[in-house]
Amino acid sequence: MKPRWLRLLAVTLAAVGLLVLPAAARADPPAASPTPAPQTEAYCLSCHGQPGLTMTLPSGEVLSLTITAEALRGSVHSPLGIECRACHTQITTYPHPSIDYATRRELSRGLYQACEKCHADNYSKTLDSMHARAATAGNLEAPVCTDCHGAHDVHPPDQPRSHISEICGRCHTQIYSDYADSVHGAALLQEGNPDVPVCTDCHGVHNIQDPRTAQFRVDTPELCAGCHADAELMGRYGLSADVYSLYSLSWHGVDVSVYRAKWPTIWHESAVCTDCHGVHDIRRTDDPASRVNPRNLLTTCRQCHPDAGPNWTGAWTGHNRVSLERTPFVFYTQAFYGDFVNFVLGLSAVYVLLQILRATVDRIRTALR
Amino acid sequence: MNASSGEAVRSERTFPRFTAGQRWEHSLLILTFTVLLLTGLPQKFRDASWSRYILATPDRVELVRTIHHTAAVAFLLEAAFHVGRGLVLLARRRLSAAIFPTMQDLRDAGQMVRYLLFLSPRRPRYGKYSFEQKFTYWFLFFGFGILIVSGLILWFPTIVTRVLPGGLIPAAKLAHSSEALVSAIFVVLWHFFHVHIERLNLSIFTGRLNESDMRRHHGQEFERLTGEAASDESTGDGG
Repeated sequence: MKPRWLRLLAVTLAAVGLLVLPAAARADPPAASPTPAPQTEAYCLSCHGQPGLTMTLPSGEVLSLTITAEALRGSVHSPLGIECRACHTQITTYPHPSIDYATRRELSRGLYQACEKCHADNYSKTLDSMHARAATAGNLEAPVCTDCHGAHDVHPPDQPRSHISEICGRCHTQIYSDYADSVHGAALLQEGNPDVPVCTDCHGVHNIQDPRTAQFRVDTPELCAGCHADAELMGRYGLSADVYSLYSLSWHGVDVSVYRAKWPTIWHESAVCTDCHGVHDIRRTDDPASRVNPRNLLTTCRQCHPDAGPNWTGAWTGHNRVSLERTPFVFYTQAFYGDFVNFVLGLSAVYVLLQILRATVDRIRTALR
Repeated sequence: MNASSGEAVRSERTFPRFTAGQRWEHSLLILTFTVLLLTGLPQKFRDASWSRYILATPDRVELVRTIHHTAAVAFLLEAAFHVGRGLVLLARRRLSAAIFPTMQDLRDAGQMVRYLLFLSPRRPRYGKYSFEQKFTYWFLFFGFGILIVSGLILWFPTIVTRVLPGGLIPAAKLAHSSEALVSAIFVVLWHFFHVHIERLNLSIFTGRLNESDMRRHHGQEFERLTGEAASDESTGDGG
């Protein structure tokens, strides 16, 4: 039989075990903990979720420090578990280190650099953009990531698609209002048309370039052709998809294609699409306000051909194939050179061949005689 | 000395064919037409690699256009002189109307085709200008006319359309570049064959044609000038 002290020990151990083990199983803090762990969104919101939290920057600007849980949850980041500290990398403790930005803008331009951590590709593209060059030249208002995408409330920018153009329109107000009245803009903003271009379709997204360069100018026809040479797409709107190919054969088009191929950086005035149709204010050709509407066409031509008379617009074949109805002079000229002249030249060639044949036969006969 | 006394001196009769003025005109035509072609073709075929070599810079394009316009002015003056002089001399009965086509040319052409097809042993007997030569002249006469008119339309489009319809401009562009090519092909195919390959005929440069060519190729004209029979060469290919 075991000694008594041993039995006593076993009972004690069992009793202690019963008490201790459940406690060990509850080592994690309870779910309804009143103080969340540091560096979590909930932890930050415990202060920053309170309204009226502000600080004053050295510039005198008052910066709101309040951010609501709703705003964060509506963004693309928070639901994915990407929390405050992912972007606010310098804040790891409370109390926070002091901020050494003098102005609100400086602060934005400093904090947005956190985007690079995850979006290195698009971030580096922006460094090559017209906006970055404007900033380098001293314009600190030039947009950074958060100006277009938002900071705490980042959403997919194209939902809805019109949102993209609206974002650009916040700064480019005049261009936006021109665009909103254009055939493209009206279809986008009023009908939610999925086919018309928004700003970024023509200008690019992150590495937006200066559209006033010679290079951009000679690339314009190709740019428009991206949609306007697409027969399926144009067919939906009853538009011709030949406009680009016929332009390429025109005086203007040949000139521009040569400059594009050989001297893309030399400025050249030969007309590209936008010279006649407008840039942001492009309208349907049957719109009386369109620059290429028959009522306004001569004025448009005179931009480059100031001494053109009223008959001048007849020279324009209007991106149409040669036809007897529209372009009778070209039609007959083409028929003359296509059929008649080729026939005459062909007949001349046959005659010369017969002469060669006859002369050769005669020579052989003479030699054999 | 033996050589000179031993061989009979053979003198060849030659006959006047073109005046000095006509010969100068032809030379000027060769010069201007060649320059116009050499400066025009690179503009027509701007996508071709050889054109890109010639039109290497925008300045070069301007230069080529300036040369083309300069040569065009010379060409135009020559054409105006040619037509003006022709009309004046014809009116004063000092130029034969031999260059104008007649029904005889059609008959000659028919006869020549029969000869070439071995259906007849006899060549036509031509006057001062054979139907082949008249065809050369009139083909290029109208071709150059088209080139001059269309070229002026392209050079001064805004002035032209003050009066004439604008649709002429794209038509002129098409006509100018097509006609230039057609004329060039025609000169090589037809004219060069007849004056260089079929036989070497330099009378447009020398102004005169030798007796055997006169007898063989311009039998009627030979008889008209000399009163002699052109011989029976013209009844067959002879040789």
